[in-house]
Amino acid sequence: MGMEKILGYGVILSLGITLLALAALIKRTLSFTTKREFSVPQGDWKKGVVYAFGKGMMPWEKESARKHIFTYCAGFLYHFGIFSALIILLLIIFALPVPPWAVILSKILIALGLVCGIGLFIKRILLDHMRQISCFDDYIANFLVDMFLVLSFLNMSFPGFRTILYINAIAMILYIPLGKIRHCFFFFYSRFLFGRFFGRRGVFHRKKAQMKV
Amino acid sequence: MAQTEEVKDKFEERLKNLSAEERQRILQSFKSKISSEYAAYLNTCAHCGLCADSCHYYLTSKETKSIPAYKLSLVTSVFKKAFDRVGQKLPNLVGAKDLSIPMIEEWVDSLFGRCTLCGRCTINCTMGINIPYLIRAARGALAEAGLVPPGLQSTVDTAVTKGNNMGIAKEDWLETVEWLEEELQQEVGDPEAKLPIDIKGARLLYTINPREAMFFPLSISAAGKVFYAAKADWTFSSENFDVTNYGLYNGDDEASGIMSGRLVQAMEELQCKELILAECGHGFNSNRWEAPEWLARKYGFPVSSILELLTRYIQRGQILLDPSKNQETVTLHDPCNLVRLGGIIEDQRFILRHAVKNFVEMYPNREKNFCCGGGGGQLAMTRFAQRRLEAGQIKADQIKKTGAKIVATPCHNCIDQLMELNKHYKLGIEIKTITEIVADALVLDTKG
Repeated sequence: MGMEKILGYGVILSLGITLLALAALIKRTLSFTTKREFSVPQGDWKKGVVYAFGKGMMPWEKESARKHIFTYCAGFLYHFGIFSALIILLLIIFALPVPPWAVILSKILIALGLVCGIGLFIKRILLDHMRQISCFDDYIANFLVDMFLVLSFLNMSFPGFRTILYINAIAMILYIPLGKIRHCFFFFYSRFLFGRFFGRRGVFHRKKAQMKV
Repeated sequence: MAQTEEVKDKFEERLKNLSAEERQRILQSFKSKISSEYAAYLNTCAHCGLCADSCHYYLTSKETKSIPAYKLSLVTSVFKKAFDRVGQKLPNLVGAKDLSIPMIEEWVDSLFGRCTLCGRCTINCTMGINIPYLIRAARGALAEAGLVPPGLQSTVDTAVTKGNNMGIAKEDWLETVEWLEEELQQEVGDPEAKLPIDIKGARLLYTINPREAMFFPLSISAAGKVFYAAKADWTFSSENFDVTNYGLYNGDDEASGIMSGRLVQAMEELQCKELILAECGHGFNSNRWEAPEWLARKYGFPVSSILELLTRYIQRGQILLDPSKNQETVTLHDPCNLVRLGGIIEDQRFILRHAVKNFVEMYPNREKNFCCGGGGGQLAMTRFAQRRLEAGQIKADQIKKTGAKIVATPCHNCIDQLMELNKHYKLGIEIKTITEIVADALVLDTKG
């Protein structure tokens, strides 16, 4: 068995370990008290959740996104790039065919993601207030993910990068439950909670129609 | 003044001499306040920093300590060190920190002194983290150790021990209602006009902010006049009339429950059908949304803001308003606890459009509005007064841009802060509640 194959299994194994660690993290999170809700809702929590994952993330709705449109777009592109690279990684490991158009699209997304990731990294290093709200974890996570994007891009363009890509992927995947990359996992739950909180209070879908003078 | 300094010194002394056991107790108390939802939030912040410009403290000071992500990191770092395995094993990697005395000092300074719990950061957070509620949980842990800044704590203590946050005695309250009733009778020209007290079986139980009784009796008169015009079946309680609940601000759930529980008790004793909350932002959030959680029970009656009631009166034609009676341009300040965290957003606009000739919005508004700086218990914490006034500059600028002469706001905390901003920033405005404006626009049915 060649080194590449072994490392491919290593990536799958690291994914398994990470999933187990995330499951343990969920268990730990759920070990804290559970709150029952006694207040009578005014709005529909489901509408709030739809808002949280849709309109509520748009720059015309969210001031922070509007004011920092470059960072906002960079964040979006960065994450698109990461997910593209992850999908490609799995396709390669399982030796599944990747259509040529998907290769081109992925290359574009990964390249854009990389540029944005490096941009965000530089921003964190250069801006005083960003440095002050950061810890080692922020830099390590960004570095590991940026390297993953670099190597994914190189691997799609030139032969000979697969081994090092796999090694980097293993390190990155194993780092997910340890540091800030876990936010990707908790993001969905947090947005859900956000939507439910404001949804049941009727904040984002108000009774405007009844209020016309 | 000297007494205030003495209290402040005692507080500082206590802070500096906390034993390891006391700090451990704070941690345990903090843990008890962390729900699984909060624990998830505490794992989510990516330190993107996009929340910075949503906070009026950061915008006016540009201090990193005022960035919501920084304030949250104070809570997260302690959480990680105490309750997260990675934080315990690799604290330097993930920024996990002990709840040391300097950290507690920073909690007091930042979580009490740089946050009004307004929630504007939450709606601007990429992840949607409920930052004010996490900060409140940390405040609550400090409350259990007696580490709430003295002014705020004494407001809670007064409310818990004396039944209302101004410590108004029952006989004084009854006397106030009596003379306000006489004034109402004169104003409406009807000797039968009443400000009823303890009427068993009345449909509505109306609450007030005790500051109204002490300093703003016109707000009570205005409500009385509107109820008179609407021929409402309502009552005050002679014992439990305080809509406020500063437990929301010091994070003490037990004290919060005691205060809100009194209104439930009054509803049940007087057998009223609906609890009507006066214009008080945090009072609304407390009694409408949080109190059932503090008391762990469902209410058997609806809880409404007086704004919702006024809307109903206008829609049903139960009161008639003449907007020409309010000729000056009016703008509206949205209290965070009522609007962003309370969901009462359009009622006040609907009412003002019926009650004034010229209503103009300030921008941003509704759930995106900026806090005036008076929330979160800031008005009670003199040690942070200068910061509070500086943070209010955003609101002062918003008001100036509207060109309005009158600022309407359905919250007495906001009124107090706006009055100070009016003086400090020389705004030259008049500040009124919505009910006062409605009372001014009322067309009374003189035929009876």
